[in-house]
Amino acid sequence: MVHANGPAANGPSMSTDIAVVGWAQSPMIRRTDLSETQLLLRVITDALEPLGLTRTDIDFTCLGSCDYITGQAFSFVSNLDAIGAWPPKRDSHVEMDGAWALYEAWLRLQEGDIEIAVVTGSGRSSTGDPALIYPMEMDPFYLAPLGVDPLTFAALQARALIAAGITDERAMAEVAQRSRRDAVANPNAQVKGDFDVETLLGTDYVREPLRRHDLPPITDGAAAMVLATGDRARQLRDRPAYITGFDHRTECHNPVYRDLTDSPSTRIAAAAAHIGTGPLEVAELQAAFTHEEILLRRALELGDDVAVNRSGGALASNPIMATGLARIGYAANHIFDGGNRALAHSTSGPCLQQNLICILEGTP
Amino acid sequence: MTRFVESSITFPYKRSLGPVIGAFMTALTDQRILGIRSGDRVLVPPLEWDPQTGAELPADAMVEVGPNGTVESWTWVPVPSEQHPLDCPFAFAMIRLDGASTPLLHAVDAGSPAALAVGTRVAPRWRGVRQGRIDDIIAFVAGEVSEVEGVDAGPKSEPVLMMDYNASITYRNPVPLVLDRVREASREERILGQRCPVCARVYAGGRGYCPIDAVELGVEHDVDLPHTGTITNFTIIQPVQYPGQTETEPFARVFVLLDGTDVILPYQPVIELPVGDVCVGKRVAAAWAPPGDDVDEGGTMGGAYGHLIGWMPSGEPNIDDPDLVNRIF
Repeated sequence: MVHANGPAANGPSMSTDIAVVGWAQSPMIRRTDLSETQLLLRVITDALEPLGLTRTDIDFTCLGSCDYITGQAFSFVSNLDAIGAWPPKRDSHVEMDGAWALYEAWLRLQEGDIEIAVVTGSGRSSTGDPALIYPMEMDPFYLAPLGVDPLTFAALQARALIAAGITDERAMAEVAQRSRRDAVANPNAQVKGDFDVETLLGTDYVREPLRRHDLPPITDGAAAMVLATGDRARQLRDRPAYITGFDHRTECHNPVYRDLTDSPSTRIAAAAAHIGTGPLEVAELQAAFTHEEILLRRALELGDDVAVNRSGGALASNPIMATGLARIGYAANHIFDGGNRALAHSTSGPCLQQNLICILEGTP
Repeated sequence: MTRFVESSITFPYKRSLGPVIGAFMTALTDQRILGIRSGDRVLVPPLEWDPQTGAELPADAMVEVGPNGTVESWTWVPVPSEQHPLDCPFAFAMIRLDGASTPLLHAVDAGSPAALAVGTRVAPRWRGVRQGRIDDIIAFVAGEVSEVEGVDAGPKSEPVLMMDYNASITYRNPVPLVLDRVREASREERILGQRCPVCARVYAGGRGYCPIDAVELGVEHDVDLPHTGTITNFTIIQPVQYPGQTETEPFARVFVLLDGTDVILPYQPVIELPVGDVCVGKRVAAAWAPPGDDVDEGGTMGGAYGHLIGWMPSGEPNIDDPDLVNRIF
């Protein structure tokens, strides 16, 4: 497996620069009238058109989605209709957030024989009840039969962080306050506005120690991203967002065997993605719960000089299966707009089980 | 206004338990809780491997723990879901059973969050009839005294090897506008399709987009399709009695190429055509439900288009064309 950009002693050397050159997202809303395929039809077109590209220019696609969320076996097959897969194309699918689809496309582009890839993440969370769907994906012997749901896992991790003195309910409310305030400038944020921390702390627990503001909204949405290599990337955009480090790591599936006050997989992935080789300006973290941002900042050793989740983050809109890809998109926006170095993070599984780190830079 | 339909999907899984989890589940039927030794630690619940090193852990390293323990962390569930083990407000807690190195995540029936704290001692409340599942423990309760709900049926006499898991999820999906038009047209005994403005291919049914050109199709692209065609391929299904199966006798599903078009209607039912008479090249005509009948929507596979309930022999001679059998798309 390739862990990093640049020549490696035992791995393939990367002969070609790979960059994000554009992306688009659907409106992020509580319930869409569109099917997942229709969401993708529009968002792929929206990602390609500003670059002057059509679907015939795409050499490889990788789609990230989840059958359990869609409620249909092999739901990714109908999503293929959105890419215009005739004549037959090189295509792949991951049952994961689109950020992992991006990882696969990044690996595929390193073969050097193709130039343009499109990746997507899509999910209609409103289709089913997330509290009933996610327990089915947990440990089938010890957790699924009890219906242990995402809020429970998050609450137990928040409790562990509070007990360890790493955070408290006020610091968590401050994360919500800042995220909602930053989200005001984001037309794709569902939850935004100016909120008073005291008022937030005066509300009831949803799942102690979590209150409503500690949780993400339920969001329907999709994102599509265009990757290009070498000269093609420079032709398509003045300032491509070069992927200079990319890695993901996973921990044990059942949180009872883990130290919930730490995120070693985040730390290892960040090191493998060369987080330390230069200063970061922004970080987009897939922290769907307030305490997760605090834990991730700590694992990544982010200083106060790094702007975290200026988009409002997953607390502002949380299109499951596209939330992580959107983080990479917002980080790419920073480079498109003249920034030098940004970090994007995605996660999967209970209590931050699996973590992905992508470093984007203005120069390859 | 977009219409939404609800459908429930059940996920009936049968899982084999293996030597370690199987022994744990078997012991539960005897009101005993087992962990597994890995170095200096005792993992509860037990795994076949050490989650830190990946080292295999043999079943003979299993040791009894608890059944009482101490709450290490907890959260309160004020509104239980249908999947939760209790239907009253309860706690999910990390419970360190006596002798264990890792916590068990389970429910605590504590009455109110005020009754819980880090360090609270708890004991299991067992189901009277135990099957060898983690929910043989209904919940833990405060104190040092285990309970059994109802009459104690005793341990299983045979090792527990398998576990059933049945989840049911209700999904709510938008109905594409074209699907409603197709169904409405079927009441007038019309088969509606759509023609792509880019490639001119015609599609039957209610997708609402051309998968070749990836363009959306609207009402302006609707076209009427012919009511006669030829069977290009078929399958005879011996019904397996999975949950939800209503068929009991062998039945046919056929692919119909509509006359004068490239349109294939897949997985169609046949009417007044015995299973033994279904063949490639058979000429068929659309069969319609009587006017006023309430026809359900049908599934995505094998569902007819509203009042189009299937295809019956047209009486014309069979078509002998060796290429027909390849026409399934």
